[in-house]
Amino acid sequence: MNSWQYEPVADLDQPLVERLRRFPREPDITIYALRSLAALAARAWLRVYHRFEIIGAENLPKEGSFIMVANHASHLDAICLLSALPLRKLHRAFPAAAQDYFFVSVPRLAVAAVVVNALPFARKTHIRQSLEICRQLLANPGNILIIFPEGTRSATGEIGAFKGGISLLVAGTSIPVVPCFLEGTFAAWPKGKRFPRPRRLRLHIGKPRAYPTHPTNKESSEHISIDLHQAVLDLMP
Amino acid sequence: MSPQAAYHSEIFRLYFYIVAGLLAVAGLALAFLAWGLKKDVRSIWTTYKAWLVMAPVILGCIFAGRVPTIFFFCLLSALGFKEFARATGLYRDWWTVGVVYLGIAALGITSLVHQPFGEEQGNGWYGYFIVLPVHVIALILFVPIVRNRVAGELQNMSLAILGFIYIGWMFCHLAFMANAMNAYGYLLYVVFATEVNDVAAFTFGKLFGKHPLRSNISPKKTWEGAIGAFAVSMALPWLMRFSFPFFGPWELIFTGLIVGIGGQLGDLSISVIKRDIGIKDMGANIPGHGGILDRIDSLIFVAPIFFHMAGFFYNMR
Repeated sequence: MNSWQYEPVADLDQPLVERLRRFPREPDITIYALRSLAALAARAWLRVYHRFEIIGAENLPKEGSFIMVANHASHLDAICLLSALPLRKLHRAFPAAAQDYFFVSVPRLAVAAVVVNALPFARKTHIRQSLEICRQLLANPGNILIIFPEGTRSATGEIGAFKGGISLLVAGTSIPVVPCFLEGTFAAWPKGKRFPRPRRLRLHIGKPRAYPTHPTNKESSEHISIDLHQAVLDLMP
Repeated sequence: MSPQAAYHSEIFRLYFYIVAGLLAVAGLALAFLAWGLKKDVRSIWTTYKAWLVMAPVILGCIFAGRVPTIFFFCLLSALGFKEFARATGLYRDWWTVGVVYLGIAALGITSLVHQPFGEEQGNGWYGYFIVLPVHVIALILFVPIVRNRVAGELQNMSLAILGFIYIGWMFCHLAFMANAMNAYGYLLYVVFATEVNDVAAFTFGKLFGKHPLRSNISPKKTWEGAIGAFAVSMALPWLMRFSFPFFGPWELIFTGLIVGIGGQLGDLSISVIKRDIGIKDMGANIPGHGGILDRIDSLIFVAPIFFHMAGFFYNMR
């Protein structure tokens, strides 16, 4: 008789906070349940308080991995983009979030890891490793990566230039990139304000694009960044 | 059980003073060791600090009343089972884990509700609480049938059944004990005496430990520690007789035996599981103690055996 094979989870010897901080996180029933409840509450909140509307939801790919890129002006952005996805895809959607901001203090970590399902992106120290994590994530079919290529929340509401990381991820691959434009999030909850104001929010979702023929060099990377930036700007009504 | 009842309960107040006093004395002793004798007490200090949190939480829940107490012990049981499932790998099978969670919730509900019919009086549906494992096991066996799966299912079902009976049902006798007439005395004594038994085993083992108790299972536990703890546990019911003033000498001896032997057994049987899997701790949720299961393991045997001993001599409710 063969003996049983036990496979303890990878984060067995870590306390809860460390388990939330690591990535990829081990699936956890309680956290999935809390995240689903939080998503329902967030969707209701957006609908009622912000009169949230989604335009172009049919442009989202039905299956396979894809990336959503959007302008970034507020903490509401990631929640708005997640609300555009069906609930069953919630736990496979990962907004890339600044490790130096969201994965340091415990309350922010709890929101980032439990509610938003964020991927810790070391935008200041380990950009290459972070991009490698994103690449592995996208290699699994069905994962959704949410990226704000400006790299930070806009201080003025204007859409800043896109950084090159996104281009390194998609150049020479057939991963669809969905450009999204978020309208009203700056007015609703700008950087530095404590609470969101009841302003109308709209999410415009554009047609997905892919860059399979682009080589991975600096020139083409700049081209992709500019192209995506323009695609987001074009969605502005 | 209610905050007012706890406030006016002589037993609860005495336990409150004893626990506070012991924690203060232990803190002073540690401080003396650290500063007076310049000993390295950092690891014991972490363990002690965790006690400073755990003791008020347990006392607070029992103070708050019957419902919070039942909820608290069921939550501990669910968290303990979760650690067991994560350690064995059963946790990847969410269906089976979900059924065991449901079973633990059912234990809580049967502890909360009244007996719906029949002659028994009092809170808690005793009859169904006791036969719940039959129905939960049936439900666990049902999972692979519903999902039409075979591979590895025997292992998953066995682990789930063990986990439910052991960490769910046996441990949750503590929750049902909240329905006892003498709930404060029973609950506080069982938890207090079992933890004292653990601490005594650790201390005697540290001071005099030479001969390993079960060398293959837990190399750190020694005969000296076990015998020292057993002696403490046999004496404790007489010292704490105010917890159950109606107990005669036989019941007091049984109480000592149950805590003294059951505590060690609980500890060792979790060690068997850990050793077979090849891990040191069941989790890392309590700094200095390991996982929740590492802390509640000795209660698992003591709770049901004490419960039925007390129920045999005196009506529980």
